[in-house]
Amino acid sequence: MAIVEHMGKKFEVDEDGFLANLDDWGPEWVDYVKTQEGITELTEDHWKVINMLQDYFKKNGIAPMVRILSKVTGFKLKYIYELFPSGPGKGACKMAGLPKPTGCV
Amino acid sequence: MPEGTLCNKNPITTKEQLDALLADKTGKIYYEEMKHLEVDTEKLAETLQATCKSRIRTWLEICAHCGLCADSCFFYLANQKDPTQVPAYKIQSTLGEIVRKNGQVDNAHMRYCMDVAWGKCTCCNRCGTFCPYGIDMGVMFSYLRGLCFSQGFVPWELKIGSGMHRIFRAQMDVTPEDFVETCEWMCEEQQEEWPGLEIPVDKVGADILYTCNAREPKHYPEDIAEAAILFHIAGEDWTVPSEGWDQTSLTMFAGDWEGCRLQVEGIYRAIEKLKPKRVLGTECGHAHRATVIEGPYWLGREDGRPPVPYLHYTEWVAEALRTGKLKIDPAKRIKEPVTLQDSCNYIRNYGLKEVTREIMSYIVEPGYFVEMEPCKEYNFCCGGGGGLNGIGIYRQWRNIGFKVKRDQIKATGAKLVIAPCHNCWDAIRDMEEIYELGIRWSFLKPLLLKMVIVPEHLKPKEEAEEEE
Repeated sequence: MAIVEHMGKKFEVDEDGFLANLDDWGPEWVDYVKTQEGITELTEDHWKVINMLQDYFKKNGIAPMVRILSKVTGFKLKYIYELFPSGPGKGACKMAGLPKPTGCV
Repeated sequence: MPEGTLCNKNPITTKEQLDALLADKTGKIYYEEMKHLEVDTEKLAETLQATCKSRIRTWLEICAHCGLCADSCFFYLANQKDPTQVPAYKIQSTLGEIVRKNGQVDNAHMRYCMDVAWGKCTCCNRCGTFCPYGIDMGVMFSYLRGLCFSQGFVPWELKIGSGMHRIFRAQMDVTPEDFVETCEWMCEEQQEEWPGLEIPVDKVGADILYTCNAREPKHYPEDIAEAAILFHIAGEDWTVPSEGWDQTSLTMFAGDWEGCRLQVEGIYRAIEKLKPKRVLGTECGHAHRATVIEGPYWLGREDGRPPVPYLHYTEWVAEALRTGKLKIDPAKRIKEPVTLQDSCNYIRNYGLKEVTREIMSYIVEPGYFVEMEPCKEYNFCCGGGGGLNGIGIYRQWRNIGFKVKRDQIKATGAKLVIAPCHNCWDAIRDMEEIYELGIRWSFLKPLLLKMVIVPEHLKPKEEAEEEE
């Protein structure tokens, strides 16, 4: 597996650049993905999405469907895309340290 | 017989098994166990006896090793004409060997078969169109996948995909309730802009029953909303089934033959229950192949057809444009060089090449549509078909294979690629991420929504008044 380095921290990533171990997740990882995703400023709402994804993943071992993300955060789909332009299944999951969702994604 | 806890010959049938496999991120333990998985040669011989009929045996025997298939394969071209990438070599050294040895092969051979069947072939069937004998390597590789799956040699993600189908009757963990709720949610979110928008569920006798790809409710629900809006504008009488709504088949990609049958059975059951005049599938290539082209045979339907006519999304779009159900505002047509990705599964393997060109004639300003070279039935696979997009261990092989499509797109000079197939869409997205071509890519639905003329009575009241 490849290693990426950002802000002095090393991260093991999978073939698609998703974090290999959620335990390695931290602010440096978030900053790394932020640049990749072209997000200029992280807001409280970005964090709300990230926290929700992590909580769900820790309980269920898989990323939630967007409907659940929207229900828990109260955000409309359009707004979720404003926060994460590459989409909830890609950019948001990546930033939250979740693995790349399996299947046709 | 050393069967792994995660990697073994049994398909996933319970949520617990599925969770355990998912927890093994990227399949670390799974692939380690695979190295020790014993081949049940007796069972393999029995499977061959029961399923490897004269067609495949003849194809393997009559192959003259002429090499005419070589240049047809994008993997061969992208890998500096590596002889081990010649389709004839790939099939002879894998399935050919299994058949010649009547299943007496070892673990190393089965792992080699897996690497070739999933990592060096996307079952795009392009080679078959150049073989002087008409040998269909795509069919043979699909068959090889079935043999590999039956022995437990299948990429981790596709073992998961097959399990998802068996548990959820969908390639992702989306239940019928989740699907219906997502449809309702999408309608709610659109009410301001599209008052009265509905997604009728389980309506009996509708003109159209619409089936989609599980990724839509799971990760991209806007796709469902867009489909609904276009039906709304076109004034269609349509519905979605609460069960049997996922048209895709990772079971087909996985070579899980029983799973293939179960999946299509669920969709056909919905058709028989809801009695629509026609069924329409989303902008997906492999779903069409699984449900419309191959599905009838999996279920032993004598006429080789689904219970009622089953259209690909492009067929409906072309028809709606032709009949004026959808009218395009000429001022909003695409006015930049634009190209089209022909999906192997419904262009080469189902003949819809003129249907997609007809759509282009409506949505692209004359003079701006640029064909890829080659195109239509001779077009190259996007590079990520057959499940390859979703398989981590072959990621580098896929990315090398992308070079052929990348160069095709580059040569058109277009910065917009229309890709009415999820797999192609994903491949082109990933290609852009890797090779930075500076291109955009799109399904048809969002493009249509930008240029379709909205009838006055469907506009929100204030907007309609403002225009007056």
